[in-house]
Order: sequence, then structure tokens, then C-alpha cells
Amino acid sequence: MEVAILFAVFAGGLALGIPVAITLGLSSLAYILLAGLPPVVMPQKMYAGMDVFVLLSIPGFIFAGKLMNAGGVTERIIRFAQSLVGWIRGGLGLSNIGASMLFGGITGTAVADAASIGGVLIPGMKKAGYPGDFSAAVTAASSTVGPIIPPSVPMIIVGALSGISVGKMFLAGAVPGLLMGVAMMVAAYVVSVRRGFPRQAWQGFGEVARAFGSAVWAIAMTFLIVYGLLSGLATPTETAIVAVVYAALVGGFIYRQLTWRKLVETLVASAVSSAGILALVGFANVFGWILVSERIPQSIAAGVLSITDNKFLVILLINLLLLFVGMFMETIAALIILFVPLLSLAQAVGIEPLHFATFAVLNLMIGLTTPPVGVCLFVTANIARLPLTPVVRAILPFLLANIAVLFAVSYIPPLATWLPSLLVP
Amino acid sequence: MASAFSLAVALPLMNITGRCIAGIVLLTRIGVGVSFTVLIAAVLVQVAGRAIGDSPVWTEELTRFALLYTVAFGAGLAFRCGDLVHVDAISESLPAPWPWRLRLFAALATAALAIYLLPYAWNYVAIGRLQSAPALGMRMDFAHITVWILLASLALFAALRAFGMLTGSEDGRPAKDGEE
Repeated sequence: MEVAILFAVFAGGLALGIPVAITLGLSSLAYILLAGLPPVVMPQKMYAGMDVFVLLSIPGFIFAGKLMNAGGVTERIIRFAQSLVGWIRGGLGLSNIGASMLFGGITGTAVADAASIGGVLIPGMKKAGYPGDFSAAVTAASSTVGPIIPPSVPMIIVGALSGISVGKMFLAGAVPGLLMGVAMMVAAYVVSVRRGFPRQAWQGFGEVARAFGSAVWAIAMTFLIVYGLLSGLATPTETAIVAVVYAALVGGFIYRQLTWRKLVETLVASAVSSAGILALVGFANVFGWILVSERIPQSIAAGVLSITDNKFLVILLINLLLLFVGMFMETIAALIILFVPLLSLAQAVGIEPLHFATFAVLNLMIGLTTPPVGVCLFVTANIARLPLTPVVRAILPFLLANIAVLFAVSYIPPLATWLPSLLVP
Repeated sequence: MASAFSLAVALPLMNITGRCIAGIVLLTRIGVGVSFTVLIAAVLVQVAGRAIGDSPVWTEELTRFALLYTVAFGAGLAFRCGDLVHVDAISESLPAPWPWRLRLFAALATAALAIYLLPYAWNYVAIGRLQSAPALGMRMDFAHITVWILLASLALFAALRAFGMLTGSEDGRPAKDGEE
């Protein structure tokens, strides 16, 4: 009965537009009161959820990404991506995807990527003769690669939930992130050839070198972060703060676009974004604690295993469930609620936690571009000044490409686990 | 006559509400900025300490507490500017005035939850008086109080939103970038 109320209040709160964190809090409180538990357990569990060592790195990574953005990295990355692939048919679409892959290595968040790259490239693509629906769709789809290529806020959350090393999680996303980029580039090329989109003239290797020289400081941040984590010289939090200092120096002294005012504004905006994520983590920790005390993970695992214990079918069922949930629920909330229950199921059929974590995050990222709650779709349709329907139609080839990569990563574990096992002893 | 009177009452009320909200936003922005700066400084001391020999033992604890204060001060602002994500696909697609009513309901529900939990959060603060942080030696009620501040800031900003909507100084949508 209490569990039914828990889920009913949760679903009702989401439908009524109450913030996800508050909905988690309301449903948990309803359960606690009905079960006759002392409500003081709520602040206690919220504190425990937020006071987790690995989560300390989240504000730093968010701040470093926002600083790079404020320091003028977007145009430089786009120019470099254009110099590489702009000459191919549909080159601006391909550049958009390439820029997202590079940008994702800096910010680690999809929405920031969609807004920053979309703000520059969607008007540029429309001006160059690309239809608005394609421009918005390719921007939304490619932005989902951001949290797969390191650094990644969802992967830090998974690290906090499961105890998997954040460095390993980041590395596990590298190959799938590259595959997503390549698959989307193939989709963009096929659509461009069919619809006769334009291409730009080859600018020569000189332009490639100049564009690389301009963007290299930003791109190097990804390697600084990965090196910091892998070398064992720094914890994730220290790496994130060193990345903040690096981004401030690059934006202030090399790109010369970061003013003191922008620095302070970015600091506060990053802190507020982080507070939103961690407040969500705090409320979700209460919800998660209830699920665990009600043995929901074991019930889910037992329920699924009573249908099938075939590993391949279980992977399929997990992916279908996450794709469905990702259509309606915010990524971090979905991870916090579902990761632990589904991890029990995955381990019961012999799926390695690192492998499971990688395809779960990848899966939920796809949800950012699926209606009705695809945040990146809304952002790019808004920039392109289009209603949602044509953008949803135009994103289908990219969705199919990303789903193909998702199933490849789900059924071929080394795509996720090979690089971490190679580089992390 | 009646409309002139209501205009004469409503306009100053809207101005006062708007100014109150701006003042509270500024104060919490300062709180969140200072906490995050302390977090960054503590980590830099840790990194620098390690580079020259040994890091002070208190930096990790200070970093954790600074993060908790960042969240405490920032949660209300996150609610105000939409960083406390909500799913509005259904609620915003309804005919007017239902989206406005549901935004008001969301603000009231947020305030109600936070206000209900405040006394229990205070009990949790009291538990902390009996404990102390191992490295800093600080009483843990100074850390536990961050949950109370978080709930208080959520209650405050949610109540201000509801009040602002009822007095007409805001429509209940997230504040735009740059405003926060």
C-alpha cells in the first residue's frame, strides 16, 4: 500500500509539473508518514546523500566547462571542426557533430552543448541553405555525446551510487562517444546526399593547422582531466578544480575573452546549477533508501528473472525500460532511482557493473532527444524558431544511429571495458 | 473608480514584492558565491600542499562542508531559475489558465514540503551538537544546519514565487539566464 502511494504521488507530481526533486521529496514523505516512520529520517538521508566524496567534483567540472564557454571556446571549436569536415557534402552538419564531440570533452553536459553550439551553428546552417529542422535535429542529437565523452556529470553520479572509479567511468565512455559521433556523421552524410545539402570548399591544410592552433588550448583540457584522473596524482575533485584554474587562465590570458565580471557570473551560475543537481541527489537518496528498504531492487530482479535469465534478453529488457523512462524523466533523477535496482538485476545475469553503467548512461542520454521531454530538442527547436514536430521528424535518422550504437555497446562489452582495463590497472 | 483604487494598491505591492525578491536573490547569490569560492580555495590549498610536501588534513572536510553550504544557499536559486528540473510537457500544454494554476500549485507544494520538514531538519541539527568533525574539530550541527538552510531557502523562494504570482509581479516561469 505504502509503496503504491509512493509511486502514485511521484507520477502525479511529475505530471503536474512539480520539480523532480520536490516530487521525490513529497512521495518519500507520503511513504514515511504512512509507514509510521519518524520524518527526521528525511533530513538525515538528504544529508547523507549529498555528503558523498565523489560528488565534490561536480561543481568543479561544471564551472570549468562554463568558464571555457565564457572564454570564447565555442567559435574556435566550430572553426576547427569545419576545417576538418566542412568540405564533405552536408559538411556543416558533420562539423556540428564534430564540434559537439570536442565540446563534450570540455563541458560534459548536453544542454550546454546544444545551447552553445546551436546558438552559433543553427543560424549559420540556415544561412548556408540547410533547412531549420535538420539544423536543429543534428544539433540536438549530437549534443547527447557530451556526457558520454569525459568529463561527465551523470558518470560521476554513477560513481557515487556504485563505487565504480570515476576515472574508469570516464574512460569507459570514450569509445562509445567516438562511435556515436561516427554513426551520427554517417547519418548526417546520408541525409545530406538525399536532400542535396551544400558543401563548402576545402580550405587547405593551412586552415586546419591554424584552426587547431586556436582550439588546442580548449581541447587540451579533456586530456588534462583524463591524465589527472589516470595518473593517480589527483582526486576527481582536485582534477576538476585544476581544470577550473586552467580554463580561467586560457579564457583570461590566451583567448582574452574572460573578464572578471564574466568570471564571477559564471562562478555563481555554476554553483547554482550544481546546487540544483545535489538537491536532487539529496531528495532522491531518501527515495532510493525507501526502494532499498522495501527490497524493490530484489523484487525487480526476481520478477525479470522469473520471465527469463537469458543475459541477452535481460539486456534488451533493461534497454527498453531505460529508453521508455528516458522519454519522460530527467536523466540524473532516473539514474538515482533506477541505477541500483537495475544493477542488481544486471549482476544477477553476469553483466559487469562498469559495462552496465556505461550503457545505462548512454541510454538515458538518448532520452534527451526523444519527445515528450527531450530537453535538447526543446532548446534547439527554440533556437531554430520551429515547432517541435518537424524537428522530431528530422531527428529520427540520428536517433536510429544512436540506438544502433547503444545496442552495440550493450552487446559488445569490450567497447566500454577495453580502454579502462588497458589504462587503469 | 474601483479599478483605479485596485491599481493604486496593486502597483506599489508589485514593486515592493519585486524589490524584496531582488534583495533576497542578491543575498543568496553572495552566500552561494562565497561558499563555492571557499570550496575552490580549500581544494587549491590541498593541491598546493601535496605539491610541496604534505596536504593539511582539514582541507577535505572543509571542501565537503563548503559544498553543503553551496547547495544550501543555491537550492532556492536553483528552484527560481529552473535548475531544479521539472517536466512541464503536460502542464504547459493545457489551455489557459491551467498552466498558471499548475505553476502556482507547484510553488505551493514546494513551499509546503519544505516548511513541513523544517522542524524535523532542526531536530537533525540538534543531533549534530553531540558530534564533532574529526579534522576541523567543528561541531557537526554547523554542518547539519545546511539541510535546514536548504529547506528554508526552498520554502522562501517557493513562497516568494507564489506571492509574486498572486500579486502579478511574476508569471511563475523560471527566471531567465542572467537574472539569476
